[in-house]
Amino acid sequence: MENRDKVKINQLFSRKKKMYTAAILIILAAVYIVAFLSTPFTIRSSSVSTLETLRRLFIEPLINPEYYSGYLEMIELMLETIAIAYAGVTVATIIAVPVGFLAARNLLGPLSYLAKALLNAIRAIPELIFAIIFVASVGIGPYAGVLAISINSVGMIGKLYAEVIESIDEEPLEAIRASGGNRIQVIWYGVLPQVLPEFVSYSLYRFEIDVRASTVLGIVGAGGIGAPLILATWQRNWEDVGMILIVVVVFVSIIDILSGQIRKRLT
Amino acid sequence: MIEFKDVSLVYPNGFKGLKNINLKIEKGEFVVIVGMSGAGKSTLIRSINRMVQPTSGQLIVNGRDITNLKDRQLRGLRTNVGMIFQSYNIVKRMSVLRNVLAGRLGHTGTLRSILGWFPQSDLQLAMRNLERVGIDSKAYQRASNLSGGQQQRISIARVLTQEPAVILADEPVASLDPPTSHKVMKDLKKVSKEDGLTTIVNLHFIDMAMEYADRIIGLRDGELVFDGPISEVTPETFVEIYGRPIKEDDLLGKDDEPEEVDLEDVVK
Repeated sequence: MENRDKVKINQLFSRKKKMYTAAILIILAAVYIVAFLSTPFTIRSSSVSTLETLRRLFIEPLINPEYYSGYLEMIELMLETIAIAYAGVTVATIIAVPVGFLAARNLLGPLSYLAKALLNAIRAIPELIFAIIFVASVGIGPYAGVLAISINSVGMIGKLYAEVIESIDEEPLEAIRASGGNRIQVIWYGVLPQVLPEFVSYSLYRFEIDVRASTVLGIVGAGGIGAPLILATWQRNWEDVGMILIVVVVFVSIIDILSGQIRKRLT
Repeated sequence: MIEFKDVSLVYPNGFKGLKNINLKIEKGEFVVIVGMSGAGKSTLIRSINRMVQPTSGQLIVNGRDITNLKDRQLRGLRTNVGMIFQSYNIVKRMSVLRNVLAGRLGHTGTLRSILGWFPQSDLQLAMRNLERVGIDSKAYQRASNLSGGQQQRISIARVLTQEPAVILADEPVASLDPPTSHKVMKDLKKVSKEDGLTTIVNLHFIDMAMEYADRIIGLRDGELVFDGPISEVTPETFVEIYGRPIKEDDLLGKDDEPEEVDLEDVVK
């Protein structure tokens, strides 16, 4: 066989493509330089040493029996927080299923972009803003928290659901259509059995996120453990802050582990 | 039963799938369509249940021109014409029995099917059909746990449960190994003869077509180039259909290999 020219491991790029890559690299470098220059790295010294604060945060609440009685109340508040997240993600799942179908390109065609745009808009607004709006409209308390969590979660799981639906095997759908099934039957017997495990898995994952999110909702009065947390930080009551953080860390870890185990078995 | 009157089909990209096909298939016939890939076999079969839309001519199924049926009538037609696919087209995450019941959807109201309230007679029918293709013991297993040949039998049971008058099979054994192919074709022929169904099968292996067909239809470049009972088929017929001499690749091989063994039954 005739010998080829020298074989290069990568395809040779055209001059235009090289220029393009260089331009991108220059822009990226500029962004980094601006970012570093505009961030002040100075540290202002405080009257209290950091070590002392850390000791009051994480050691004192654990070793001083004086604080032990406070945990019960914190755990109660944490359970309320988890309940907010659970109710929120349940409502979100119920709404996200139809929305997900509407946003799936393979079922709805170009119309799906409308639903996708709506979901993107929802996701762009932070939970805290929703929480503030709902506290203003339905009053202080966990109800506002549930509403804020559910709306925000629809934004994410609706989109994930749509992506799951878009990745299904469409051949069984063809079979149901070919046997005289109507549109709803195609969805019920062709699409749903293929997507349900992933739907449940994504809802659980979102529940993990929502538990973490609900812990800060109390800051704006939307219920849960966030209210005492923000109060304690304002008062520099580091022992209480520490107690709350310990409870949050323990519960969030437990939930993450459990939900992770369930998700692993689903698919 | 089925009559093509000057049917042509041009795809949107300009490709001519079918060219002036005239063809009449009687009730209860077992017809095999042969031809090279791209010859229009799938297009012909899929015209009959309007999965593709002929662009001219008339296509009569059960005394009725189906070329212009709308939504509801189209579903009625498809309820009466069952289909088997090359890649089985079953939902792998669903149980075998549920997959078979999916064949009943055309006969079942929307609300009933959503709730899963199939009449007991449908469930009996589904089980009986699973028994006929020899996989009734797997009714409650996930379809993905079954072998390729068994998965194709699920789809045969599904199509039987639909209780159609016509079965269309689009390359039903192209994804299976030779011995399994023969078993599946035997099953298909057996059940279609038992129920007196009109069956139209696409195959690209010549020996297989000769073994199972009552009648052979040859397509080449969208044109009908042969139509007759297998007694009229000569070696030259296939040269004509394929437009070239027959090669080893056009044959599947004899059905003399050992029977497919179900590992689960062996272990028990």
